[in-house]
Amino acid sequence: MNKKDISEVELRVFITAVTEYFQALAGEPAQVRSAYLGADLSVPQSYDYTGLITISGNYRGCVYFSCRQVLLRRLLVCMGENDHSESNLLDAVGEVANTISGNARKHFGAALEISVPVTIHGPTESIRAAVRARPFVITIDWLGQAAIVMIDLERLV
Amino acid sequence: MRIVLAGKLPGAQIVGLARDGAQAVMMFKAHQPDAVTMDLTMPNMDGIRCIEEIMAINSDVPILVISALADKATAIAALRKGARGFLNKPFTEKQLVAALKEVISDE
Repeated sequence: MNKKDISEVELRVFITAVTEYFQALAGEPAQVRSAYLGADLSVPQSYDYTGLITISGNYRGCVYFSCRQVLLRRLLVCMGENDHSESNLLDAVGEVANTISGNARKHFGAALEISVPVTIHGPTESIRAAVRARPFVITIDWLGQAAIVMIDLERLV
Repeated sequence: MRIVLAGKLPGAQIVGLARDGAQAVMMFKAHQPDAVTMDLTMPNMDGIRCIEEIMAINSDVPILVISALADKATAIAALRKGARGFLNKPFTEKQLVAALKEVISDE
């Protein structure tokens, strides 16, 4: 089966989804610090909390969003949620990953099938297992807090 | 979302919060709510199937789908199954309240 990595234009779909997510939720868009093709990442870059979506259908790969706890707490405050329990923090990071991936279907269509988010606190083997050697990496800053979106996506032609 | 709904829809009461589609159907049977908000990407039973199940129990109940899935085909599929409205994530508080009021007023 032939496979093809996503294009720069398609990568921008995810960048837009990330910035618009924070804009809609908090009135403050995330600032993109960099977007690049990742190096050979035997241990993919991540922060304390990660929401991982696996992709299937006419595409294969994964998308994950990872950030520190303080960013999630600020997100929950923006949602009017004062319960910052572990469960809600994990829900929040999964929700960001879900929204970024789901919004990308505006461009890719329903053939981009997305999974329920897997949420992780701390480093885990499941990220390493899910991500290929050279994914796209988008680093962002929101209200002074860094976060990362990793996109590992190929089209099955 | 539950906080927004409780604060912005006076008289509204959240009678149940389900973590997946199968639980949503069980809770629907138990509580018989006046309206339902639902995601589509859920474990155990996805939202489209869940709409079907709820419609089979009570086809009059207004369902507002709230989903990140931004393609038109998905929205149309949900509406064809019986959902009354479709709101894309991310959304503002104002959009959520307006969408829910609209699906309820269609009753």
